[in-house]
Parts: sequence; C-alpha cells; structure tokens
Amino acid sequence: MSMSEQQALKQQVTLLELVDRVLNKGVVLSGDITLSVADVDLVYVGLRVLLSSVATLEEPREQISATGAAS
Amino acid sequence: MIHLYGVVEELEALPPVAGVDAGRLERRRIEGLELVVSRTVEVRDVTQEAILSHAHVVDELMGRSGAVLPARFGSAFSDEQELADAVRTNASVLARGLSLVRGCVEFGLRVLGGDGAAENGSDRLSGRDYMRTRLAEEKARRRLAAELHEPLARLSRASTRFGGASSDLLESAYLVPRPDVAVFGEHVRRLEATHGGLTIICTGPWPPYTFAANGEGGDA
Repeated sequence: MSMSEQQALKQQVTLLELVDRVLNKGVVLSGDITLSVADVDLVYVGLRVLLSSVATLEEPREQISATGAAS
Repeated sequence: MIHLYGVVEELEALPPVAGVDAGRLERRRIEGLELVVSRTVEVRDVTQEAILSHAHVVDELMGRSGAVLPARFGSAFSDEQELADAVRTNASVLARGLSLVRGCVEFGLRVLGGDGAAENGSDRLSGRDYMRTRLAEEKARRRLAAELHEPLARLSRASTRFGGASSDLLESAYLVPRPDVAVFGEHVRRLEATHGGLTIICTGPWPPYTFAANGEGGDA
C-alpha cells in the first residue's frame, strides 16, 4: 500500500470508529433513542467490510496505527 | 426536541460551533450537573452529517472542560421537563461517571490476525483431532489477546474488552489519564513492533464515549 492509500485507510477506520462510538457508546439518559436498528446495522456492516480488507493485506510491516488521528 | 451532547464539568465557555441541524448550543444546570444541549426541530433519520456535528461538539467540549461524559447520539427530549426528570433520575450515576473520566481520554484497539496457525493439513485430520486442533488454536488466540490487552489495561484507569466478531483477535478500549498518553502510545508501538504478523489498529484520543455508558464501561 502506498502512503496515501494508508492515509486514506486510516481516515476511513477513524471515521467508522467515531460513528460506532457516537451511535453505540456514550451515556443514555432516556429510553427514547431515535435511531432505527437498520441505521446502526449499516455502520457495523461498513466497519466489518473495511476491517476484513485490512486483515487481508499481505505486508505485515504496513500496519495501520491511527493514534493521534482524532484529537 | 432537545438534543443532548453531554454532561460537563468546569466548562469555560460554550465552543463557537453549531450543533446538530445548525442548532445553537445552550447550557443547562440540573441537580448541580451541567449539560450542553441544542434544540432540534423534530425526530429525524440519522445522517452522517448529524453524527459528525454531534461528535464535533463533544470534541470541542473536551478541550474546554474538566470532564465530559459524552451522550449517545439520538438521546432526544421532548421538553425541558423531560430532560430535567431524566437527569434527576440518573444524577448519581452521572456524577460517578464524571469522576471516572476526569482528566482522561479514550483509546480504541482492534487487533486482527493471529489465526490459521493450525489450518495447514486440517483436511487430513480426523474429526476429533480437528476439534482438538481448533481448541488449541482458540486457547492460543486467547492467550495472545490477553498478552496484548493486559499491559495496556495496567496503564489505564479503566479498560474494557468487547465480544467482537470472531475475526478480531481483540477489540478493546482504554481510559488513559492525559499524562500517561505518551507512555500508552509508546507501548502500542512496541506491540506493533513485536507482533509483526498482526494488524494492530489503535485509534484515539477519543472523548470517553465507551466509559460514559452509564458506568458500565470499565472493568479495571
């Protein structure tokens, strides 16, 4: 993977991790959550597909570390 | 509707950013707890734009507060009374949550790989041997996951491991005191260097979404 591809992948992972947190974590004060299950499922499907593609990368040295990417 | 972004402590001033649906940010003080909210027109479908607006506000609050308990997106209250009732009902949990996350940020970790060690020749094994091999492999995966997770958990105020999908060796989150962030990052880099066959994805620093979940987030 080139540096720019790695950078793009990092951004995608970070975005999906962010969406996962905002939709599924965080404090809940009321039972009135307005999201549909389908919305949340779509996020998970996207995340799984992306991670599967990361897992099949051949070169072990080209790992993704997005530490510090979302401050 | 009233959209909640989070419960905050020692917020200097509201950030100069718009909320969901371009709503103006407002403060509320209920039961000694401070909240940041904005008004939204009505219950609506979730969009990426709305999610990012919510996240942006929470990020901004992190930079201006002593502590932030981020609210899950989609918590909407029909009026001030409903919001006040919800805060009163949860006041002690919220206060405990704030004291847990004070001075900390969150890091997420996903580790992929570490499987397939016993797959070679598995088609020639008997059913029993195949199951034994699978069991041994599963034990090895668990050991490896613990080897990765435990040192990071020791550097954290709280940590949690998620069930995750079977393809993930480890999916976890860590609540790290700000002064220890550099040490935590250094340790992650060391894990990457010593486990070349694994894909280690560390994200953060995040607002402590995982550890704000009604006091259920931590196990360490």
